[in-house]
Amino acid sequence: MRTLALIGLACGVSVRALGAQVTANVEAGITDVQYDGFLASGAASISPTMRWQHPGGRGFFGARGTYLQFQSGRRSIDGSANGSWFTPLARHWRGELGAAAGASDYANIASFSHGQVDARLHLMDEDRGGWIAATMGRSSFGGGSRPVTVVAVGMWLLRTDKTMFVSVDRSFIGDTAYTDLRSSARWRRARVVLEGVVGARVWSRGGGHGVFGEGSATLALGRQAALVVSAGRYPTDVISGSLAGRYVTAAVRLGRITVRRPVTPVYSGNSRASESHSSPSATDTRLEIETRRDDDVRLTVYAPGATVLEISGDFTDWRPVALSRSPTMADAWVASLRIPRGIHRINVRRDGGPWMAPGGTTRSADDYDGEVGVFILP
Amino acid sequence: MILAALLLVTQAAAQDPRLERLDPDTRLAVVAVLDSARDVGLPVESIIQRALEGATKGASGARIVAAVRRLALDLGTARAALGNSASAPDLEAAVAALRAGATPEVLAHLRDVRRPPLTMALSVLADLVASGVPADSAAAAVLALAPKARDADLVEFRRAVERDIALGAPPGAATSVRLNAGALDAISNLGAPNGANNPPRRSRP
Repeated sequence: MRTLALIGLACGVSVRALGAQVTANVEAGITDVQYDGFLASGAASISPTMRWQHPGGRGFFGARGTYLQFQSGRRSIDGSANGSWFTPLARHWRGELGAAAGASDYANIASFSHGQVDARLHLMDEDRGGWIAATMGRSSFGGGSRPVTVVAVGMWLLRTDKTMFVSVDRSFIGDTAYTDLRSSARWRRARVVLEGVVGARVWSRGGGHGVFGEGSATLALGRQAALVVSAGRYPTDVISGSLAGRYVTAAVRLGRITVRRPVTPVYSGNSRASESHSSPSATDTRLEIETRRDDDVRLTVYAPGATVLEISGDFTDWRPVALSRSPTMADAWVASLRIPRGIHRINVRRDGGPWMAPGGTTRSADDYDGEVGVFILP
Repeated sequence: MILAALLLVTQAAAQDPRLERLDPDTRLAVVAVLDSARDVGLPVESIIQRALEGATKGASGARIVAAVRRLALDLGTARAALGNSASAPDLEAAVAALRAGATPEVLAHLRDVRRPPLTMALSVLADLVASGVPADSAAAAVLALAPKARDADLVEFRRAVERDIALGAPPGAATSVRLNAGALDAISNLGAPNGANNPPRRSRP
């Protein structure tokens, strides 16, 4: 699943995450699990998760912990973190540097830890792509540690509401070596997400053999809650020290807390286009729009160094309106106006200078040898 | 003759007092454009606003008249493409798209594949072109998304393209890559380590 996430990031997808720079949730569930070589057992689990994503899609960092309480009274605890940084998209290519680390402990009997760095090269086309990757690191059990090397190659394919990928990776952990063939798919429709992965471990020396497969269904109960049912069999992960097993789990996921600077859900167009012109306007002023009840709209213009700031637009019948200094934000000027939904044109003027298009709007030529900013109130 | 002209000016001002900000000759010409537009059922508010914009910006009367005439023509072209039932915001957005380089055929195609309102789709189209995406590529992208995408999806698509361009991607390639990458929206959620597949892994004893 992390691979899918990386695909998304490599494509710079995560449109939703653009504003949602930090998200977090907690998943609590009950499970029936049978680890290879052990009797089946019931367990309760709780897993907090957080994730930060660069607002420009250049990277992410995530962390997760899991506490498992078994029927026997024993417990397992683990924590892991990973992050990646992406190079700018160069035509169809994008590079990635990542790092991951984790540790786990079972009943004060077995403790594992690992750390690794990896490099990937992504090739992206319209609806398909692929990657090659190399990973190096260390995995330790108690006092001893072993070197980790993984090489991987994969491909992915997109269809409107479906995502599929296949990959093959070869892992070397000390004297242990194995190859995993894996294929995964994700299908999303309305509030339901179905995910599945099937694979096989082959050409193994000390890592076990066999096929594995996992599936899950997630039903969103709103923006802050979801029911998750999952089941399957997964292989031993020699790097992190987890034991192969089969399981059935039902869980409730709560959260998806978003921490971000409030952003107006208003389409204010293409700021880059604004900045592509040489006029200082786009960088000297920036408009933010906040819709309130009815047609009441609060306009905030950031204009460092200005002493007087005016706006004019079709919502003022093009009569200049002086803005007031914000009492709470430096360099910010504010006004509350009644602006109907629809497409609007606006100019700003600082210190009696020329009328200009503010940043944060779609800047276009007006019919009077100047420029005008365009925005939409949806 | 002078009396008749004064009478016409008075009538024009009576139609919309906001036009009193224009000089008499300009006002007469603008009112004539408004009357023509009104006669053929075009929305006139945006034309009035274009004239007022010129007045605020200190444009000459000739420039103002030229601007409103051009806008009226473009509104007519937009309505021919979108149909008589097109709303004023849709027509205004269509004018922006036409001026950005979209063809009337693209507008008509958009009308065929997407239910109104079309304002956001048309604005995204104009914005893509403004950011350097070739007009035909921008049109192809918006037309591909238009049948099913919500307005918010279109906006986010545009933002994603903008971000890729900011990261160095050629505008056309960014649009192309993003066109189908919208399907990956949900995948970003999987980046959270707490994805749906969260088996009760346990350390080996």
